[in-house]
Amino acid sequence: MVTLKLILRNRLAAFGGIVLLAVCCVALLAPLLPLADPDITDPVNRLKRPFSDGALLGTDHLGRDLLSRLIWGTRLSLAVGIAAALIAAFIGSAIGIVAGFYGGRIDDLTMRGIDMLMAFPYILLALAIVAVLGPGLLNALYAVAVVNIPFFARNIRGVTVSIAHREFVDAARLSGMGRLRIIWSEILPNVLPVIVIAMSTTIGWMILETAGLSFLGLGSQPPQADLGSMLGEGRKLLINAPHASIVPGVMIFVIVMSVNLLGDGVRDALDPRLRAGALSRPAAATRVERPSPPAAGKTDALLQVVDLQTEFQVGPRTYKAVGGVDFEVAPGECLGLIGESGSGKSVTALSLLGLVASPPGVIAGGAVRLDGEDTLSMNGEALRRVRGGRVAYVFQDPLATLHPLYRVGDQMVEAIRSHRPLSRQEAWNHSVALLEKVRIPNAAARAKAYPHELSGGMRQRVGIALALVNDPDLVIADEPTTALDVTVQAQVLALLDELRRERNMALIFITHDFGVVAQLCDRVAVMYAGRIVETGPTEEVLAAPRHPYTRRLIACVPELGGGRRALSAIPGLPPPVDALPAGCAFAPRCDKAQNACRQGEVVLQSCGMRAVRCLFPEGATP
Amino acid sequence: MKKLSPWALGLAAVALAAPAALAQTPPNVLVVGQIAEPKSLDPHAVTAVNDFRILMNVYDGLVRYKDGTLEVEPSLASSWSISEDGTEYTFELRQGVTFHDGTPVNAAAVEFNFDRMLDESHPFHDTGPFPLSFFFSAVEDVEALDDDTVKFTLNAPYAPFLSNLAYPTGLIVSPEAVKTHGADFGRNPAGSGPFKFAEWESNAKVVVVRNEDYWGGAPSLEAIVFRPITDANTRVAEMLSGGIDIMVEVPPDSVATFDGNGFQLHEQAGPHLWFLILNAKEGPFADKRVRQAVNYAIDKKALVEQILQGTAEVASGPTPPAFAWAYNDALQPYPHNPEKAKALLEEAGHAGAELTFYVTEGGSGMLDPVPMGAAIQADLAKVGLDVKIETYEWNTFLGQVNPGLEGKADMAEMAWMTNDPDTLPYLALRTEAWPDKGGFNSGYYSNPEVDKLLEAARSATDQAERARLYKEMQAIVYEDAPWAFIANWKQNAATSERVSNFKLQPSFFLLLKDVSKS
Amino acid sequence: MLSYLIKRLIALVPVLLGLTVIVFAIMALIPGDPATAILGSFATPENVEKLNRDLGLDKPQVQQYLIWLGNLLQGDLGRSYSLNRPVLDEVLERFSATLILAGAALLLCTIWGLLIGIWTAARQYGWTDKILTFVVLIGISVPSFWLGLLLILLFAVELRWLPASGMFAIYGGGDLPDLLRHLILPALTLSVVATGVIARLTRSAMLEVLRQDFIRTARAKGVSETRVLYGHAFKAALVSIIPVIGVQAGFVLGGAVYIETVFQWPGVGRMLVQAISTRDILLVQGGVIVVAASYVLFNLLADLSQSWLDPRVKA
Repeated sequence: MVTLKLILRNRLAAFGGIVLLAVCCVALLAPLLPLADPDITDPVNRLKRPFSDGALLGTDHLGRDLLSRLIWGTRLSLAVGIAAALIAAFIGSAIGIVAGFYGGRIDDLTMRGIDMLMAFPYILLALAIVAVLGPGLLNALYAVAVVNIPFFARNIRGVTVSIAHREFVDAARLSGMGRLRIIWSEILPNVLPVIVIAMSTTIGWMILETAGLSFLGLGSQPPQADLGSMLGEGRKLLINAPHASIVPGVMIFVIVMSVNLLGDGVRDALDPRLRAGALSRPAAATRVERPSPPAAGKTDALLQVVDLQTEFQVGPRTYKAVGGVDFEVAPGECLGLIGESGSGKSVTALSLLGLVASPPGVIAGGAVRLDGEDTLSMNGEALRRVRGGRVAYVFQDPLATLHPLYRVGDQMVEAIRSHRPLSRQEAWNHSVALLEKVRIPNAAARAKAYPHELSGGMRQRVGIALALVNDPDLVIADEPTTALDVTVQAQVLALLDELRRERNMALIFITHDFGVVAQLCDRVAVMYAGRIVETGPTEEVLAAPRHPYTRRLIACVPELGGGRRALSAIPGLPPPVDALPAGCAFAPRCDKAQNACRQGEVVLQSCGMRAVRCLFPEGATP
Repeated sequence: MKKLSPWALGLAAVALAAPAALAQTPPNVLVVGQIAEPKSLDPHAVTAVNDFRILMNVYDGLVRYKDGTLEVEPSLASSWSISEDGTEYTFELRQGVTFHDGTPVNAAAVEFNFDRMLDESHPFHDTGPFPLSFFFSAVEDVEALDDDTVKFTLNAPYAPFLSNLAYPTGLIVSPEAVKTHGADFGRNPAGSGPFKFAEWESNAKVVVVRNEDYWGGAPSLEAIVFRPITDANTRVAEMLSGGIDIMVEVPPDSVATFDGNGFQLHEQAGPHLWFLILNAKEGPFADKRVRQAVNYAIDKKALVEQILQGTAEVASGPTPPAFAWAYNDALQPYPHNPEKAKALLEEAGHAGAELTFYVTEGGSGMLDPVPMGAAIQADLAKVGLDVKIETYEWNTFLGQVNPGLEGKADMAEMAWMTNDPDTLPYLALRTEAWPDKGGFNSGYYSNPEVDKLLEAARSATDQAERARLYKEMQAIVYEDAPWAFIANWKQNAATSERVSNFKLQPSFFLLLKDVSKS
Repeated sequence: MLSYLIKRLIALVPVLLGLTVIVFAIMALIPGDPATAILGSFATPENVEKLNRDLGLDKPQVQQYLIWLGNLLQGDLGRSYSLNRPVLDEVLERFSATLILAGAALLLCTIWGLLIGIWTAARQYGWTDKILTFVVLIGISVPSFWLGLLLILLFAVELRWLPASGMFAIYGGGDLPDLLRHLILPALTLSVVATGVIARLTRSAMLEVLRQDFIRTARAKGVSETRVLYGHAFKAALVSIIPVIGVQAGFVLGGAVYIETVFQWPGVGRMLVQAISTRDILLVQGGVIVVAASYVLFNLLADLSQSWLDPRVKA
């Protein structure tokens, strides 16, 4: 049902579906329609033009009514195309599943056979099959089906192989299920959508191929009409009576087109990736849709973020990932941005230079001022110059964030040359120097390596070096150590800290780990459900957290040398950001929450260097 | 000009600005649109009319058909004599004729030609195979009596012998060229004809050039280019766009296009018969009345006038009118009479019979076999016969039909082009020609009277006597109706205005010696 | 790398040998024989038998195959029954014509497919995207042989801008411009479907890649949007597009049959259809071997360029 709705929501697919349905209805109703007999010849009235008396679409070379033959022919062609697709899908999928599931020699042998079939020019295979079986639409159907078996077998085998080694299949094996039963109850249901997708995309192709065979004279037997043979007959009269070939040609085109439209819709609806929100291309910069930027406050901060709001609009829902965030970073200062996953800290960081994927991301309000200039109002070129120039990013998981097909040195060179008019060689030397700087041994050689050839720690160092190439004033590091083991993590942190001090560079450090914040940051801002709930100098916050959430978060950190201490996880989950509760977002999980907490907006209350968004902060008298 | 389709009119303005139309073919060089790539230019190795069209201009035979007829006249042989018993033919050769490679056309060369084809131990027999060598299966011995005299000895009197010599299989090739090129002679041919072979670019063209020393006088054309264009539409398009000067086998529906409009259409009836073989051995057609009923039921006039657009005439019997001397003009085609057909079917008790009908998709002389088959099926449906068509591609079709229709089908399309009134009936109507005896009588017709007449006509040497026998045979076959006689094809060709002196021959050969082009 | 190449080429041998067995088997199953094909109306059982003897076709099938195989190892593909010339000459001549046609079509479909794919991905949901996506859909839905006919009707018959058929003009032709003029319509027709397939795939591959983290990195570095699209995204997308171009090469070679028929292009596809209908088994063998080998080589080429492009794929 959901699938059907998704298909219908796609207007083109719906259009294709409707056209196809109409064609099918007419074809199915052919016996009931007031049509002339499609096989009655009338040589005297041959090749009448369309719209002539008694023959709406004209007549063919034997004086038969083209409209009637078209409808009867469509009926036959559709049936054959669909039947061929079903047969090919059935046999091909069976072969693919067996080969993929059993693997080993069976797999090898079948796939070599399939390779051989694929290497055989498909049209000749079809010709040969028809030549052996004799003419006739049914044989053409078999030929088209056989020719398309390899396509299904290959696709389905690939999917089966990936499924055959998944946990639930292993579990089924261990539970003593027979192989056939596993195929039937575990593999098949998971492969089925792929089969349906493959079918929906090939059925149009099948109709074309059947028409092609008929066109070459290997299809239906006269006087029976199918679209391909009508086209073949009409082709001989191309110059004298173009309508005889144009009419069936247009019909084939309409059918295949609507099948393709519908097939695309089915694919979009069934493919889990596409289903999760159509594949959409993120724009160069996040879309900004804010009423008007808030007035600039006087500040000497390097970066000033005012009431930043970032939303994700997915279908009818709006996820408020960042719901009004304010903070400042002074030159050379290190600010920690901390929170659980989903708290909006990464989105906040990405929003600063419009790097949130858009669609679906939208910056719905606020301003980000770099030395007083709002990055959210910058045009493409100005923004590009800031990115990687004055402000640079270090991302989590450099295996995914570095381009897999470029050498790391080249990626750095590119970053340099996007901002400075250096020669390639100069930029390369500079890059190698930086790689040395981040303590990559044998940097000159490593610069020529591809990301996948480096270890995780090395890759992260490359990520850091990449951020430093243009001597930025501000580096935004988004959980740069999460993927690393503890010793490497410590090294990387030490490196970052050293670099920051040496270059007097400001740093926004995003993490979920208070231990890391304690080691690195001057100030910390704690985020929860898209908002900052507490901020202040690191030592003070650590020493005396004011927000219950901060307190609980600190409690999660094992203290080095602190022995075994009860690590109290925070019960419950953060609220979904598309349905934030009224009042304090943490209230549902807070053991101190009171009724007042669940009503009305709770404001961030400043007190000197510190601020907290809580009606009943820790350490205060209730 | 031809009618412009509306969407092209829409682009007319653009067309005016377009570069000039395609280059015209050069003067005095004739470009012929052929229907297929030739298989070989060795006249003894080929079977297709399409190839004959080239060969007849490159080679000469001992004899040839007189212009506009199917009667033989001297060619390389200036005269001949036939022995009393009709088994010895002695030819006097024209003197001083040479092949294109300079070697003389003499009796030894003639002997070499026939020995190569017929003698399996001949050193150059392996340059074959020679599929039509059975045309001369009656030849027992060929002997060069002196330089200019050659004698053929037959194992029995065989009246069509001279006519077969005029056929392309009887053309004389240069023995030296065969010795030089061996199996590749077919691509490096040398004959003695009005044009010399110059070039064969596979799948693109065969070029022949004027033979200045031709014994019959040099032709006026400088060269001829034979261009294979298998697709009829493309052939028409090329003709319309000026890419070729002569187009053979104009599709029926394009005939009107070339009648006038800067083109000239040529037509010539030939020794061709398009018919349906009826399975007289079993099923409804074992009854003569049912066979006659089919002849009455088919609207032959509509077939030739509408579907074939007048490119054929209604056939009346087994012998085409092109064999004027042997044709029985007293016979009138079975009229289109569905009522009579129905009555005959009722009478025979086969009303509403179910029949299987073999139809081919194409093939030599088959005209438009699929539309014809479909139209015939529809005509038979109108008299209540339930006909099921099975179509086969030509070679498969022959593989099905030639071994006989028994147990497979009730009727099959067939067409023959022959060079002698003897050939078709002798090979396809005698009892001795049933498929199991090596003939083409796939419908198992058998009438001792017909058998006797045909044997007699074959060994008679007097043409008047032969004519009498053939006419008698036609009357009997007409009445017995072993076939449904449908059509005699009128071969056609279209030429551009620049071509003059072009003429089609009843033999279906394309003789271009006298053609000129401005 | 070289040893990989050699291994792949050796792996080609059993595939081709298997194919020749299949071809022989199929041809043996098809009713009719070369002798019937040559003799036409004159194919009496007697004549057929004699001609088959002359052609060496009276021996058992297996023996015929082994003889052929033995000759093949000596580089002799035999002599065509229907054309009366060495199979190798004919096949090479025809195949080069097909290569010109398929190569031109492949060039067209690759260039246009990639460009359209990138354009539509870059302007997703914009008008360019909508119009081009629709045009592409038309392209993959239209029967190519029919499209060819319409093009002939328009450009050759009505407008007379381009020749209707063939590869070279009869006179005054034979040079490159002449070939190109003859090539335009068939290459265009042949490339339409493949262009559509490649464009659609490129679009989705680009969209997929554009959502990857490393694209965000590139943008965060301040790389220009043009470079993001054509450098970073396109290069990564190409990894998944190249195998498809390889497969399309096979389809283009296969689909050439229709186009060669419509445009009278003297290619190997048409030769094979004729060879099947004349039961010219040696010619069929020769043609299938060349076509299959080129198909496999196209795929090998695709694999090689993929591994050249993507250092993660070890050749």
